[in-house]
Parts: sequence; C-alpha cells; structure tokens
Amino acid sequence: MKKILLLLLCLGCLNLKADDNAKKLIRELNKKFTLLNDYSADLYMKFNIPGVKMNNMRGKVFFKKPNKFRIRTKGIFFLPKQNPMQNISNMFLDTTAYTTVISGYEMIDNRNCAVINMIPLKSDNELILGKFWVDIANPLILKTQITTKNNGTIETRNFFGDMIQYALPSKIIIEVEMNKMKVPKMMAMDLKKKSTDKPAGNQKEKGSIELNFSSFKINTKIPDQVFTEKDEQ
Amino acid sequence: MKSFIAILNNELYKTMKRPRTYIGFGVIIFICAMLQAAFYHDGKEILSFVTQQLDMVFNVQGNILNGNLICFILLQTLIVQMPLLVALVTGDSVSGETASGTIRFLLTTPASRTKIILAKWLSGLFYTLVLLILLGIMALVVSRLIFGVGDLMAVNSDTLTIIRSDDLTWRWGYAFLIAFLSLGVVASLAQTLSCFIDNSITPIVSVMAIIIIFTIIGMFDLPSFDLIKPFLFTTHMISWKSLFEDPIPVKEIYFSCAVLLAHIILLLSISIYYFKRKDILT
Amino acid sequence: MSFAISLQNVTKKFNDFVAVDNLNLTVNRGDIYGFLGPNGSGKSTTLRMIMGLISPTTGNISLFGTALSENRSEIMRKVGCIIEKPDFYTYLTAHENLKLFARAHQLHYTESQYQDLYQLVGLYKREQGKVKTFSHGMKQRLGLAQALLHNPEMIILDEPNTGLDPQGIIDLRKLIMQLNAERGMTVLFSSHILTEVQEICNHMIVINKGKTIAQGNVQQLISSESLHVNLEVVDRPRALAFIQQSPWVSKLQQEINKTEQVIHFQMAKDEIPLLVQQLSAHNIDILSIDYRNQLEEYFLKITHS
Repeated sequence: MKKILLLLLCLGCLNLKADDNAKKLIRELNKKFTLLNDYSADLYMKFNIPGVKMNNMRGKVFFKKPNKFRIRTKGIFFLPKQNPMQNISNMFLDTTAYTTVISGYEMIDNRNCAVINMIPLKSDNELILGKFWVDIANPLILKTQITTKNNGTIETRNFFGDMIQYALPSKIIIEVEMNKMKVPKMMAMDLKKKSTDKPAGNQKEKGSIELNFSSFKINTKIPDQVFTEKDEQ
Repeated sequence: MKSFIAILNNELYKTMKRPRTYIGFGVIIFICAMLQAAFYHDGKEILSFVTQQLDMVFNVQGNILNGNLICFILLQTLIVQMPLLVALVTGDSVSGETASGTIRFLLTTPASRTKIILAKWLSGLFYTLVLLILLGIMALVVSRLIFGVGDLMAVNSDTLTIIRSDDLTWRWGYAFLIAFLSLGVVASLAQTLSCFIDNSITPIVSVMAIIIIFTIIGMFDLPSFDLIKPFLFTTHMISWKSLFEDPIPVKEIYFSCAVLLAHIILLLSISIYYFKRKDILT
Repeated sequence: MSFAISLQNVTKKFNDFVAVDNLNLTVNRGDIYGFLGPNGSGKSTTLRMIMGLISPTTGNISLFGTALSENRSEIMRKVGCIIEKPDFYTYLTAHENLKLFARAHQLHYTESQYQDLYQLVGLYKREQGKVKTFSHGMKQRLGLAQALLHNPEMIILDEPNTGLDPQGIIDLRKLIMQLNAERGMTVLFSSHILTEVQEICNHMIVINKGKTIAQGNVQQLISSESLHVNLEVVDRPRALAFIQQSPWVSKLQQEINKTEQVIHFQMAKDEIPLLVQQLSAHNIDILSIDYRNQLEEYFLKITHS
C-alpha cells in the first residue's frame, strides 16, 4: 500500500513538473507572439484537395492582433474553417481559458518536441483538444493538431525560416480530413466518363493546403480597412 | 462560285425572313434570362448542393457565383435544348420546301442540286452559329455583367476544377467552337433526314428522338453499350466541357472533334448523294 | 434544225407502276405545243422529267440540242416553267419571291424592269403583297412572271388555266400567243381540256396512261377532211344492207357496238349531205347525225376509258 501511495505521489509530482514545463514553453512562445502586432507577407498557395483540381496561386496575407486575418488574392481558394494562422497565437496568449499539459515528447525533423495538450476549461468552447508539438530547444510550434466540435481534426506542419524571432513559419502545410467528393453524373452531364467508383458514402480522404510565405513585413501598423475592403475579382 | 454565293444569299435571306427562325433566338434569350434571375436570387443555395462536402471543412473564399460559372451552367443546360432549336430550322430546309412545293421553284433555276444542298447546309450552319453567338452574348457577356468575372468552378463527374479567370478566354473560345461542331452535326443530321422525308415535322421529331435515344445509351454504363458509345455523336456533344478540366485531355478532345467532323462529312455526303437523285413529286 | 425538246423512248417507273411508257416527243423551236391528256395520264411526270425534277428510268431527254443530263444549268437559263401549280414562299412578298428567283439566275434587274413584268402578267401594284394573301389566280400570274423573268426561249406551262377566272384564261391565251409571235418563244402547254389546246397550239400530243395516243399537227388532227361521223338510224340492218352495196362501204368504220342503232363512218365534212340524201331516198330514217374530228374522237375514247 505504501508503495502504491509512493508511486502515485511520484506520478503526481511528475505531472506537476510537466504542467510547469508546458507553461514555461508557452511563456517562451508568448514572448515571441507579443513582439508581433501585425504582419503582411507574400503568399504562395498549393492545394491538394481530393476531388478538387486547382492551380497554385499567389496572394498577400495580412494579420493584425488580436485576430484580424486576411488573404488578398484574385480568385477562388479554400481555407480550413478552423484557421490555424488566425487562432493559435490567441489560444496561447489566453492562458486562463485552457488547461495545458505535456503529454509526451516526440522527435520532429530531428528536433526534440514536447507535445502540449490544450483542453478548454469551458464546455461551450468550439475546441475539443489542441495538441502542439513545441521545439524545446528553441520554442516554436512545429506541428499542431486541433480537434473541434463541428469541423473535425486539422493537422498543421510548420516550417520556419527568417521569422523565427516572431515564431512565424515560412511554410505551413495544413492537412484536413474530408468526405470523398462526388458530383452526381446526371448533374455533371458527363456521358464520356464511366462512373465505376462506388458511392462515396462516408469514405474519408485527406487533403492538404501548403502555404509559403515570403517578404514578411512586421509591425507596419496595417490599417483596419485592409481587412474589410472588398476583394477585386 | 458566283452562282453558289447567289444561292447561299437566297438561303440566308429566307432563313432570316422566316418567323420560326426567331423562335430559337427568343428561346435562348428567355432561358438565359430565366436562369440568370434564378441564380441571382437562389444561386448560393443551388451551389451549396455541389459544394456541400467542401463546405463542411473549408471556407470557400472568392466569388464562386460569377459570370463564368453561370455561362458554364447555361451552356451545359442549353446544349440539351439547342438541338431542338437547330433542328427546327435545319430539319425543315428541304422537307419544308418539298411539302410547300417551293422546291420546284429552286430546282428549276440554273443552280445544281449539289450547290443548292450545300447552300442550305451552310445557311443552317450560319443559323447555328448565330444561335451560339447569341448564347455566348447572353450566357457569357450578360452573366459577367450581372455576376461579375471570376474563377470558374467547373463541375465534372467526380471533380471540381477551379480555372483561373485569366485562363478562361481561350477555353471559352474553343468550347464554343466544339459546341458549334456538335450542333453542326445536329444541323447536318436534320438536313439529311429532311432530304428523305417530305413533310416538315417528321425530320425535327426524328432528330430529337435520335438525340434522346443516343443520350440514354450514353447514360447507362452497360458493357453492350460501351462498344458503340464512342461513336455516338451525343457522347461527344459535351466535349466542350473537357476544356475545363485540368489537365486538358487533348487527345480525347481531338478524338471527339474527329468523330463530330466525320459525322458532319458523312451526313452531308449522304444528303448530297440522295438529294441529287431525288425525284420531286410534290 | 435543232428541236426545243426531244424525248426519245422515255420511260418512268415508280416501282412497278409505269407512269410514262416509251414516250417519244419532239417540240420544234417556235412551236406552241399542246400536251393533252386526262388527269393522271403522265403529263406532269413528263414535264417534270423535261425540267429535271424527275430522272427518267430509261430514255434520253434533250433540250435545245443538249442532253439534259449533260448541261442542265445552261438549259435552265433558256427555260421558264410553271409545274403543277405555282408555289412560292408565302412569308415573302411577290416582289421578294421574284428577286430570289432573279438572284438564282444571277439577273440584275432594275425596278422598272420588274414593273414591266408585273404589268405584263397583270400583277401591277400587287407585287408588295405577301404571297400568303394571294388568290390562286394571282399566284398563277406570279408564276407566269417567274417563268418569264429570265426572258427564256421556251416556257413550259403545266395546266396554267387552273384556278383562273374566264378573263384570266383569255388574258393568258393572249399572252402566250403574243410571246410566241413577238419573241418567237416556244411554248409547251399541258392541259386536260381539249378546246384550250385546239385554240392556241399548232402541234400537240395526246397521252393516256403514259402512252402516246396521237401526235401531230393540230390542223391535221382537227381537219374536216377526215371526220368521225356517227349516224343513228331507226332500222340499222336495213341501213347497213344498203351501205354494203353502195360506194359508202369504203367509209364504213369497224363497228364498236352492234346493239346500238349507230353506224360509224370516216369521211370528209362535205360528203355528209350526200350520204343523208341517199339514205333518205331509200326510205332509211335517220334519227341523228353527229361528227367529230380525229382529235375529239381520240380524246373521247380516252375520257370514256
């Protein structure tokens, strides 16, 4: 019995230690986030969405604290409903709304990462669970996995370049899970293609969007109307 | 050549003076306006039927409901109705004159029967072209004015293809050319039947019956139909859509154009051969 | 001298039905040629073959010395026609219809030339009316204008009097005679009414069931030198007995129906009074006498058959 109590105490201490480490890492990250008030950058997007064929496109991205975000481009493009570029820094800055805990350690790109789980304290939060792979040596989020109530799970891989000091990645690959796309043959009016595929049903497929950033401009006091003006077509 | 131009001129004059010619123009304008109004009010709901799986995961950014998409939908919808409008005029070209007796008026001029049938065929193609140009103006130009210009989200059998707006003009050009080729087959078929039949209505009804039967064959994925499907002109009537795929299936498009052209040449040859030997008994 | 029309052994079959059977026909330039036959005799089929609307099954057709199959275009420049009935584009005006026809002939007429033509056929100031508002008679006049538009060397008219009022028929007859006399125009004129042909034609052919019944100069065919005389008597055997012993026997025709009271002769018109006189002298009572020329006789046979 004593042994069991001793084991539980040790585990509890370890857990407290992990919680502390998570907070420490978040603090380190937040330091970088707080340096950033706004940014703009050139954007190059690559889409690999099942059932959707589209060319890569160029655009410009704008961000302003706390959560103003906009991609200005000419034409149609897709972004996940749970936009990681818009929300993650807010989640980290708002330390009171989430419980954070390190659930383990993993190597990503030969870098030792702590896996920080973020669980919202309030049940009405859209987020169910946020998992962040944070580089321990130089606190940067290398990977995220966000599970929400309505929009499923989105995985993000971040690759860093010049803007490490602001924790801004130069490349983000967003992976989403979605139902297989299927347009009824009658609607597509396609007599040439054979519809040999079985009905889509709930068959899940993975899609990805790659965002490449360059020519960052940091803290240039971007006016608010940039986020409200209409897109040119 | 001068005599041929004179005959062609006559055929065009008659086509443009006939009241039924304007039925086609009226129908195109009416259908386009009706669908444009419907999309103006309920377009987003209609579109959500196609994009519902995407909408679950993504925010689709940009103006999807633009003039290019409306044109795509209109062309896809009207390619089914337009053969009727084309047949209404071309299916009557010989049979109507036979029924009314004016064929005697034509065939007692110095023009040869070959020239007469060629002039009628060209006049039918000209009418088809005018019909398509009107559709182009209504579907593309007017839709762009109402809904704006933007990337095209083309709906194919199992994919949505997003084509950038600056990459669309040449595709529309070729799409309308292929649509013209498709309707050229309909015009040629209608004229050929018109040579064989001596009343106005039967060739028109026959053309529509043939299109309906061939389209139904095309709809079913049955092994016995697979052999004939590639050679049915209806299979290739929607080949213009291939221009909005990525990558463009160039070989498929060439094959479709070849099949359509072969149909036109064959049908025209049959009509010339038969018409040259036809006894005018009415 | 080349013929305006020459048909040699022309036959037209529609499956098993023989519409025209081994027809030979020559129309000289400058003739007004009557083409006579009851309805369904093969007149329209023949005229259609001459105009290239129907191909003959066998035989040769030449116009102005040229085979129709060789140079149809050139021949059509020399021929105007109304076949069956004049049909026009009803949604166009008379003037627009004629302009179409003129364009097909590559003719560039002035408005006054058109007006002259309208005056000639009696359509003056009616030319701007839509053809759908025209009576059959007016369409016939327009048909004539179309046939004459390119100033042809020959016109072929298929029953042109149909639908015309009496004045119209007289006008047309005058016009045909005038065109023939003033321009030397050859006219091929079909009809099923004998008197029409007799009045204006100088040559004619009679056909029935696709076959030629009679052909030749109208004057000869209607000559009073060889009339068909039908004599109706009270006592036919007695009359025949007298005739058998008299020189009149050479004029006697083969008896058609012995049960009739009629005796048939072929003789000149001025011989009839002498025959009547001799029969009366032998107390043979005559009930009636009628006589027809050859053409009338042929036509009557056709009509009866």
